Amino acid sequence: MGEVVKLAHGAGSVETSQILESLIFSKIEERLKKVEGGLGIDFPDDAAAIPMGDGRFLVVTVDSYTVNPPFFPGGDIGVLAASGSINDVLMLGGKPIALMDAIIVEEGFPLEDLRRIVDSMLRVLREEGVALIGGDFKVMPKGQIDKIAIATVGIGIADRLIVDRPQPGDKIVVSGYLGDHGAAILARQIGIIDEGSGGGLVSDVKPLTRLMLPLVEKYGPHIHAARDPTRGGLAMALNDWAKASGTVIIVEESAIPIRPQVAYYANMLGIDPLALASEGAAVLSVSPDVAEEVVEFMKKLGFDNAAIIGEVRKAERYRGYVLLKTVVGGLRILEAPRGDLVPRIC
Amino acid sequence: MRAFKIYAVGIVQGVGFRPYVKMLADSLGVAGYVKNMGGGEVEIFVEGERAAKFVEALWNSRPRAIVLEELIVQEAEPQGRRSFEILKSDEEARTPSNVPPDLAICEECLREVLEGDERRRGYYFNSCSFCGPRFSVMRRLPYDRENTSWVSFPMCPQCAAEYSSPRLGGVRRFFYQGISCKLDGPRVRLLDSSGKPVESDNPVLKAAELVSRGYIVAVKGIGGYHIFARATDDSVVAELRRRKRRPSQPFAVMALDLRVAERLVHIDERAASLLTSPQRPIVLLPKKEDSPISPLVAPGLDKEGVFLPYTALQYLLLAHTDDKFAVATSGNVHGEPMCKDLKCALEKLGRVVDYLLDHDLEIVHRVDDSVLRFTNGVPTFLRRSRGYAPAWIRIPRRLKRPVVAFGADLQTAGAVAFEDKVVLTQYIGDLDNFDALKDLDQELRWFFKAYRLRDPVLVCDKNPAYNSTRLCKEWAEELGAETFVVQHHHAHALAAAADAKLDEPFVAIAIDGVGYGDDGMAWGGEILFVEGAKYVRERHLRYVPMPGGDLAALRPARMAAAYFHEAFGEVPMWLAERLPGGLPELEVVERELKAPKLFTSSTGRFLDAVAAALGVAWERTYEGEPAIRLEAAAAGGRPLPLEAEDQVELFAQAVEAYRSRRPLKDVAYSVQLKLGSILGTWACESAQRRGVDTVAVSGGAAVNDFIIAGIAQEIVSCGLRFIQHIRAPPGDEGIALGQSYMTSFT
Ligand SMILES: [Fe+3]
Ligand SMILES: [Mg+2]
Ligand SMILES: [Zn+2]
Ligand SMILES: [Zn+2]
Repeated sequence: MGEVVKLAHGAGSVETSQILESLIFSKIEERLKKVEGGLGIDFPDDAAAIPMGDGRFLVVTVDSYTVNPPFFPGGDIGVLAASGSINDVLMLGGKPIALMDAIIVEEGFPLEDLRRIVDSMLRVLREEGVALIGGDFKVMPKGQIDKIAIATVGIGIADRLIVDRPQPGDKIVVSGYLGDHGAAILARQIGIIDEGSGGGLVSDVKPLTRLMLPLVEKYGPHIHAARDPTRGGLAMALNDWAKASGTVIIVEESAIPIRPQVAYYANMLGIDPLALASEGAAVLSVSPDVAEEVVEFMKKLGFDNAAIIGEVRKAERYRGYVLLKTVVGGLRILEAPRGDLVPRIC
Repeated sequence: MRAFKIYAVGIVQGVGFRPYVKMLADSLGVAGYVKNMGGGEVEIFVEGERAAKFVEALWNSRPRAIVLEELIVQEAEPQGRRSFEILKSDEEARTPSNVPPDLAICEECLREVLEGDERRRGYYFNSCSFCGPRFSVMRRLPYDRENTSWVSFPMCPQCAAEYSSPRLGGVRRFFYQGISCKLDGPRVRLLDSSGKPVESDNPVLKAAELVSRGYIVAVKGIGGYHIFARATDDSVVAELRRRKRRPSQPFAVMALDLRVAERLVHIDERAASLLTSPQRPIVLLPKKEDSPISPLVAPGLDKEGVFLPYTALQYLLLAHTDDKFAVATSGNVHGEPMCKDLKCALEKLGRVVDYLLDHDLEIVHRVDDSVLRFTNGVPTFLRRSRGYAPAWIRIPRRLKRPVVAFGADLQTAGAVAFEDKVVLTQYIGDLDNFDALKDLDQELRWFFKAYRLRDPVLVCDKNPAYNSTRLCKEWAEELGAETFVVQHHHAHALAAAADAKLDEPFVAIAIDGVGYGDDGMAWGGEILFVEGAKYVRERHLRYVPMPGGDLAALRPARMAAAYFHEAFGEVPMWLAERLPGGLPELEVVERELKAPKLFTSSTGRFLDAVAAALGVAWERTYEGEPAIRLEAAAAGGRPLPLEAEDQVELFAQAVEAYRSRRPLKDVAYSVQLKLGSILGTWACESAQRRGVDTVAVSGGAAVNDFIIAGIAQEIVSCGLRFIQHIRAPPGDEGIALGQSYMTSFT
């Protein structure tokens, strides 16, 4: 048998980048990787952009959401599908205006559950003032899909784009606790916490409009990169940045806000909490002269645990490394997460 | 009248070779010259009646610091020279020569320190042509004073006179590049942990007093800082463990001399000669029953790592302590490279030590202490560094192109190689640490330049998660170089072959913690049939799930759960107590055991599982801890009749024997011996099938006395030749040797 697609290929990890590179990126002509003057798959970022001719950009993003279980502490797949695409538009500097959805459900899925999920999605749109301008709905025979999958397209308008280009000297700022979503889902999947109680693990899934719109308005030109660290977590986001900008990013382990219960479960499962997904947090690369101010501003907006966690450094050699300064002062190499278990400890 | 041109290759630079040659020539009354060539070799020209006699004498006797590997002698035209001269170095490279390793202080130098004249009595940096720092102070080749850290210490008139006159300097000081004395040499200072100078008449005596009083003191040595602490005081050792965050990894003990060391450990003749050799390694030796050393120095182990001072400073320091021995562990914090400058020492060791004994001779290359043990009666490297590295290792084939090999990832070293020589770097450490990775990169660049290499091929491990693999890719991009990827155990096998100068097909037993397998699984108990660049995986330890990947290596109870599941179909509940996550973690493990994602044939993980099942070790706070403790637990054990076809059955047998209250040491002993004989039997079958007569063993687990004894018995009894490592470490520090050797077959 030839090679087959593995779960690791879809884990938003090193393997994902590799398979996409070989399947798509290396096969498509440069000129077709974006709309002229815009942003496309030629550059790794949260969303795509198309110039509108008046100096502004149409920001577009697409994502499909499959999460098991569809209901989890802190949210459900409906909130996730709406928030995820809204956040991706925001992270490119856009103001979300509309959403489209495609829902695929398994035959036999409880209608009540579907109603709850769609209600959640609509609630988010209502609260954010984002229009639902189209969609698709399909049902698959039993066993041909696992419960439910939702794809959403997020659409927004940006006066100026935040294309992820961290500058040497920048400070890395996070909006709050990291890894909450990933920890909650993982713990549910392996059954160590039940729905409801959650063992203190609650997904942070939420739209970040209230954070990003005022931030972009006030500090736009100082924000050199923005990400919501979803799959692959902070580790993935920073590795992408360091690689793309040819810099070294150093983060202070003790400064990264991680909830004790998240650290506990991650440790038990042998997973680096920095590789766990957040669905309601932002990571920014900000000019050093306004970094403190940005953190204060975030706190005023209700993001109490916002913090500076590190900085971007110019690199001659060893470009593209992300280094974790440990509590004892050593520099550990923080690698991009892998989807496969690859043991290396002798 | 005859004349000869001679090229000498070996360890001939920086070990008193030129002055020795000059004095030899003068004594025979021949004329000519000697000079260092840029790449490292030494060129000699002699003419005169007794020129042939000179050549003969050169070949037959010399001081022990000089290692001659090759002497190329050509008949030449006489030039009519009147005297014998040492000429200024030539930049032209011929056959590159060995970069000399650092040498322990010689007996004559120590005698001068204790009872010599005013300039050298009590001089902490006394050294001569045959001893002292070399590689660690070398900025570039050739080995000339201006290319070393000694350049900061201009010679006093007396030293200058000794340096330039054979009559005044004698063979030990004439032309000695590191010549110095009390008047012009480096200064010693005592500082507190914040870097503030501490006033004292004699900083070394003061430091000795502080150690005796229970203070923890960093001491700058040859390749880095040590941390000295009183070894007889439990509370001092416990405090050092707390500050270093090193709960149980053994500390080395430095003893003033053999007499003192004999009170601590059992020393036979071979051990004594290793301990007193110019390489002066740490040697693991059986503890004495009545040893005064605190049990916290090497907790749970039957051996103590002991070494002798290799500088005058260390000697005088110990001589003035109450105990005459002390803990002398490397000056680092957990998982990081040892400090080699004051800035690092203050930053990183400031919280660990109370005082620092510093000096101002710059350390250019960090060089850790070497560590050896006896395995199956053979001195075996656990770490090949100071005293040995970077002397090259000759291999039985020639390389077509220079090689840069990146080794493995943890406890690793790299190599550059050319012709039939592999230069393994000094011990580098764990590459998940960025400073260690930078060290590897910089040392490889340094050797590459020092040996004037060009257009290399690069070799790295197959493991995609290794940082060495990442570094290798970066070099490949930078140089546009061809890159080979070698499977970990194939590299181990070839390292054993290169070590033994074996150049024919053979069967290898590669046993270690983990290496990335061709099937993506965690290999580590492998029988390979090796034909140069090709190998066949003949057989391996039975695959067992490895729940959580690396987490299973960090938490031995996970592997015990996997083995219980495999051997008995169920996992005992009490293992939960041995997991940091308790019952929930055990449930996670059990779920994974029912649908495993990763399998392993690792010997290390088997030993972990046995250690956990027998209650010998639950934690792994340093590499190989459970296996090391299991080996210690087997000391003095006697064989039980265990019948098992593979290691899973063996696990079941060991558990049954333990349950039926057989003595722990007998169970521990038997399980390791039997594992060896299972592997040995498999290797014999494979060798007979393939028609080869040699079986080599390599890998990190190949230092285990009982496993190797079990293997060796089988191999010898089936009439095959058995090879174990001698010149290179069996562990991952030897990987780069195997990687280099591999390219000779391509
Ligand atoms: Fe290995
Ligand atoms: Mg962005
Ligand atoms: Zn000497
Ligand atoms: Zn002098």
